[in-house]
Amino acid sequence: MIIAERKPFQEIKEAVAPFEKILIVGCGTCVAICLAGGEKEVGLLASQLKLALGLEGKRPEIGEITVERQCDLEFIRPLCDFIADYDAIISTACGAGVQFLGELCHMKPLFPALNTTFIGVNETVGFYTERCRACHNCYLGVTGGICPVTMCPKGLLNGPCGGNVQGKCEVDPARTCAWCDIYERLEREGRLGQIEKILPLHPHDRTTTPGAVIHPAYRRRYGGHE
Amino acid sequence: MSKLKEALEAGHFPLVAEIKPPKGVARDGWLSPVSDLKGKVAAFGVPDNEHARMKLSALAAAVLVQQAGGEPVLHLACRDRNRLALESDLLGAGALGLENILAVSGDYVTLGDHPQAKPVYDADSVQLLQIARGLMAGHDSADLPLAGNPNFFLGAVLIPEAEPLGPQLLKFRKKVAAGAQFFVTPPIFDLDKFRRFRESLGDQPVKILACVKVVSPEEVAQAATGQHRKVYSLPAAVLQELAGKDPEETLLKGAAVAGDLLKKIRAEKLADGAYVKAQGRSDLLARVLEAAGV
Repeated sequence: MIIAERKPFQEIKEAVAPFEKILIVGCGTCVAICLAGGEKEVGLLASQLKLALGLEGKRPEIGEITVERQCDLEFIRPLCDFIADYDAIISTACGAGVQFLGELCHMKPLFPALNTTFIGVNETVGFYTERCRACHNCYLGVTGGICPVTMCPKGLLNGPCGGNVQGKCEVDPARTCAWCDIYERLEREGRLGQIEKILPLHPHDRTTTPGAVIHPAYRRRYGGHE
Repeated sequence: MSKLKEALEAGHFPLVAEIKPPKGVARDGWLSPVSDLKGKVAAFGVPDNEHARMKLSALAAAVLVQQAGGEPVLHLACRDRNRLALESDLLGAGALGLENILAVSGDYVTLGDHPQAKPVYDADSVQLLQIARGLMAGHDSADLPLAGNPNFFLGAVLIPEAEPLGPQLLKFRKKVAAGAQFFVTPPIFDLDKFRRFRESLGDQPVKILACVKVVSPEEVAQAATGQHRKVYSLPAAVLQELAGKDPEETLLKGAAVAGDLLKKIRAEKLADGAYVKAQGRSDLLARVLEAAGV
């Protein structure tokens, strides 16, 4: 899932301070799970803004609504009429959700409440770690299910750098070296042979932004975008 | 042809002395090892933004070494360049007559003095060696032909004290397959460990330059407080010799230690040559060579 963190409150407050009617739109999927932008966090942000702006003598009207996913038109289209009543929108979605919502309410100032950080996993409550860089060319089948692009800070494809000390990463000694992990797992599985071959340069052309994917079944319909 | 390559192939146990390109454009001081020692060492190592700290371009520094009469070993780090820049710099090196290339990944940017810089690593060191091989064969990494091929003597890094060793040996085999002809180790202080490593490595179709280093007082202080985090060990006996001295004395004693190690490595034929790091200081380099009987 997408992991995000809330922006410093001061930054959000300064962005919306000039407006009198502010709508905070939450997102109920990834950012709700990582406790950054779901319904509860929307409520918390609304209360904080009311208090902080109140101390400055302002009495803004702050609306709250949370949809299932802001990255899906099906869920945000019904917001159109609702948005019309407000001067400014705060989105607590990831960067994708904020932009998709923005396309819908393009006449309103829109502000993100989160910094989107990475694609990761929910290790345990409140602890999320990165697993995928969305590199368009998954190596996990070759590298024993451990991603060298993400788990090695240098993204090295052909083995460890010379900086790991006793199997710990040069960049963060608290972490194990991704390539030591890859080697150990494949050795245990008797599959070391598959990393003896030199992996070629990564095809970065595929990661040219903004990316687009058309499902094979829909190529005829959206062929113009291929 | 690379004099370093010739000396290695002839079994002359050549030495490479590392110089330190400055943070700035000053030409005095850092080039003095070249004029002072060019008769005694085969080549001069030119680090590329070593420890991710921004310095004078290694390519420019290598040319200045050449102009001063020395043969450079140009380090090329994957950290700071994409494949276009790596290839372009390799062609530049080739056109300027620089043959010795040491392909390195490069310490990560957050460890250096520009921690917010974008780390590149478009190629890793294995792929960089392949790229250089390709250029020597007349084509770039996009398989496009060159107008004139460069000639390189390609090197890479080998970590004898790596734990676990398996992943490093995997990388070593790939580097050899990718075209590395010589390898440079991190500093060697524990000869027993290095001896065991050489025995386990067996005969290889490459040349190995063992690094000897004049330890800095900072490193001694780190080791004394248990904060020494390097890919090589500093044995207690070495630390004991270096501890409790003022900084300059530490360096002088460190030069004697490095010289002694160099002498033993050479006498025992534990390597094909040596790479000497002495803070880039001419006087310390000379002391190491003197202590080693060079």
